[in-house]
Amino acid sequence: MPDKTITYEELTPGYKFPPATYELSASFVSKYLKAVDAAGDGFVPPLAVTACAVASMTKAVPLPPGTIAIHASQDLEFLKPVPVGATIECHIGVAQKIARGKMSMLILELDVFDKGKEKVQSGKATIALPA
Amino acid sequence: MLTEIQEGKALNPVVRHITQEKINLYAEASGDFNPIHVDESFAAKTPLGGTIAHGMLNLAYVSEMMTSAFGQSWLSGGKLRAKFKEPARPGDTLTVSSKINCIEQRDNVSYANCGFECRNQKGEMIVAGEAIVKLSSARK
Repeated sequence: MPDKTITYEELTPGYKFPPATYELSASFVSKYLKAVDAAGDGFVPPLAVTACAVASMTKAVPLPPGTIAIHASQDLEFLKPVPVGATIECHIGVAQKIARGKMSMLILELDVFDKGKEKVQSGKATIALPA
Repeated sequence: MLTEIQEGKALNPVVRHITQEKINLYAEASGDFNPIHVDESFAAKTPLGGTIAHGMLNLAYVSEMMTSAFGQSWLSGGKLRAKFKEPARPGDTLTVSSKINCIEQRDNVSYANCGFECRNQKGEMIVAGEAIVKLSSARK
């Protein structure tokens, strides 16, 4: 990721972006905790895991230059705590693409796996874009 | 952690002040440098009129509240559905609050259903949604 070989118009339901891998190092977690004003508890905050997945979505979705994409909604399920230092793999696919008036809604599915291929998190993000 | 998990119980709220510095720190940590969050001159020319906090930064405060209340149960059995209603902007103070709406029993496991909301200092709804936590064992 990003897969710049595809355009936004070519994104269709069922399309899967190439997976993105992140190492959730102690320095990453420390930077994240500072950004969100929180204290650590030995695990990676679940939303820090999601942040990686969402950032990879942002990089992956090919938007026309100058387009403002708005994160409209987010569903998440946390399945397993992720220890600091773990490596995760984020899988993102297009679930739906809906045109609604002057807006277009892109619904993306995300699944996050640990090194042992166990799913640690899954979810769905709705991104609103000008049509 | 909550000492009593019962219907109607309010969770301890989380209050956070949003600054451009925190938004920039979040962009660095997450790798999401969308200019609507970090480029003040770009953002000023958009219909939003200025930079906004990442939705996931606002949602992080919700997760922090849930982690404080439910600990490990949230990390390995939490679900949330959130709608981003309005953007949070630098200078805003956000208050995240929640209460346990009901406790459901399914297959001898209890689930706490919580409604949550995140409002700014003007009372405007920034994020609203629900969270469900799988508790360790059935309870009444």
